[in-house]
Amino acid sequence: MDNNRLKQFDMPGWLLKDERYCPQTDKDTFINKSILSVLSILSRIRAQSICKSAKYSVNAMFKVAFTFMLILLISFSRNFTFIVIINIYLISTLCLMDADVIVKILKISFVTTFFTFVVLVPSAIWGSSFNTIMITTKEFATITAVSILSHSTRWNSITGALKCFFVPNIFIVVLDITIKYIVMLGDFALNMLYALKLRSVGKNKSKNTSVSGIAGTIFIKSKEMAEDMYAAMECRGFTGEYNVYNGFRFNIADVIYIVINIGIIITFMYFERI
Amino acid sequence: MHIPDNYLSPSTCAVMGAAMVPIWTISVRKIKSEVTKEKLPLLGIGAAFSFLMMMFNVPLLGGTTGHAVGGTLLAILLGPYSACISVSVALLIQALLFGDGGILAFGANCFNMAFVLPFLGYFIYKFVKDRAITEKGEYLGIVFGSYIGINVAALCAAIEFGVQPLLFKNAAGQALYSPYPLSVSIPAMTIPHLLIAGVVEVIFTVAIFSFIKKVSPGTIYEGAKRKTKAIYGLIVVLICLTPLGLLATGTAWGEWGADEINEVVSGGSALGYVPEKMANGFSFKAIMPDYAVSGLPEIVGYILSAVAGVAILIILFKVISTFKKIKVGDSIG
Repeated sequence: MDNNRLKQFDMPGWLLKDERYCPQTDKDTFINKSILSVLSILSRIRAQSICKSAKYSVNAMFKVAFTFMLILLISFSRNFTFIVIINIYLISTLCLMDADVIVKILKISFVTTFFTFVVLVPSAIWGSSFNTIMITTKEFATITAVSILSHSTRWNSITGALKCFFVPNIFIVVLDITIKYIVMLGDFALNMLYALKLRSVGKNKSKNTSVSGIAGTIFIKSKEMAEDMYAAMECRGFTGEYNVYNGFRFNIADVIYIVINIGIIITFMYFERI
Repeated sequence: MHIPDNYLSPSTCAVMGAAMVPIWTISVRKIKSEVTKEKLPLLGIGAAFSFLMMMFNVPLLGGTTGHAVGGTLLAILLGPYSACISVSVALLIQALLFGDGGILAFGANCFNMAFVLPFLGYFIYKFVKDRAITEKGEYLGIVFGSYIGINVAALCAAIEFGVQPLLFKNAAGQALYSPYPLSVSIPAMTIPHLLIAGVVEVIFTVAIFSFIKKVSPGTIYEGAKRKTKAIYGLIVVLICLTPLGLLATGTAWGEWGADEINEVVSGGSALGYVPEKMANGFSFKAIMPDYAVSGLPEIVGYILSAVAGVAILIILFKVISTFKKIKVGDSIG
């Protein structure tokens, strides 16, 4: 009992003083914003890597080829009926996808289509309303087609598919590494941003300069990582050439997809009187 | 049964629209509290069913056509409140995209087909089913519910038509809007529906109900097996069959265009004039009017319209389902 009381008297005065520390507010929304934007990109790529593969999924090679063809046909077409048919086809594929994917795709399509429309409003007022409708519907179809491709196919299978179209190896290497490194470097940047946010309490003048520090560190880090990785790949026998090993087999989904696309080509020829 | 624009006066439309507002509000509230996030897309499938059933036109007496609605079916499968919203959205898509049913008359159409039909049909079904516990009793309830439901809805539409000439006339005594009084419109609407369209509605309702009960009982009963693939398959089959609806030529009673109404014969004599407001009233240009795509044969246009309508309805309800937050216990219950 006595001991306790003694200890209480031993406490230094400044410790017992009631202190209310309110750190001065500082403008650090830029940190939060960059954290959020890095996170959103990372989560999109991560969501891609756990992309569930359906039992019967169309081969990525066909998807890439026919989407490319579809975009070409859309831009060549001068017939509104053809564009309407393509839009109905795209919407009906869209309705089979998951709800949140549909929302993502439609958001992009509608926003871009709306801006195109706004840009074209003067031309509609001056009399060429047909072109305005034509271009906006074409835009909607193109964006939706590309979004459906990118949301229904994993990115590494798209790069794999590029190999079949005689895209130079160096291009595929760069693309592949870029996608992988966006994740790793993004993680790295995220950790540094967290550290910056946690350690700077109150007003801190050097906060802005630390951001350039983060950028510089990431650059150095990326250079180191790239060299390390290339060395590691060479050690494992990588000669700069990509070979696609896939036991490719036609399944029923491929056949249906090809039939649909041949149908699209025939419709295009019918409407363009080729 | 889709009332076009300019057949009803704007004041009638306003009254019917105002009557629908509380019904929609209550339905949306009920759906919010009772329907889970996983079950919401089913409303879209229901709306797609209703949309497709309305495309199957059947020839009726006197050179007109009619169609089933499927309101009772949806009310039995999803509950009357969900059915109300599903049919309303299907009607909205029809009005905006395909010019079937008026924009101003949307409230009146919803009152007939999205409120009277599903609610009445559902309560008759429930009444009969609770008294006869056997499976036959359930089917008897479906038959009575759907038959009475669609006929009372047709009667409501007929009354809305028939009231117009009593209330709105010009100085010469000619009707401004729909020209036929109650004595003409009620028999013209109800007799064909009692004889043919009602029977078609019953056949559709019983056939689709028994199909869904067989392949995907989870849609009807909680906890049982649910197979969405079979239902999607049924939708595809229905889409492929929609051109059958084109076999019925002629315009449905009360859905003539301003160019047709002059020659419509009723009670032995043609009308002989175009009602004033119908000739120069509100007009709205739909994207695919009368389920046709310009430059395409009729059948292809009809199928494309069916595909587009179904896809848009399913997407719409899937998007709505993402707005709904997952509640604790949703996945359990």
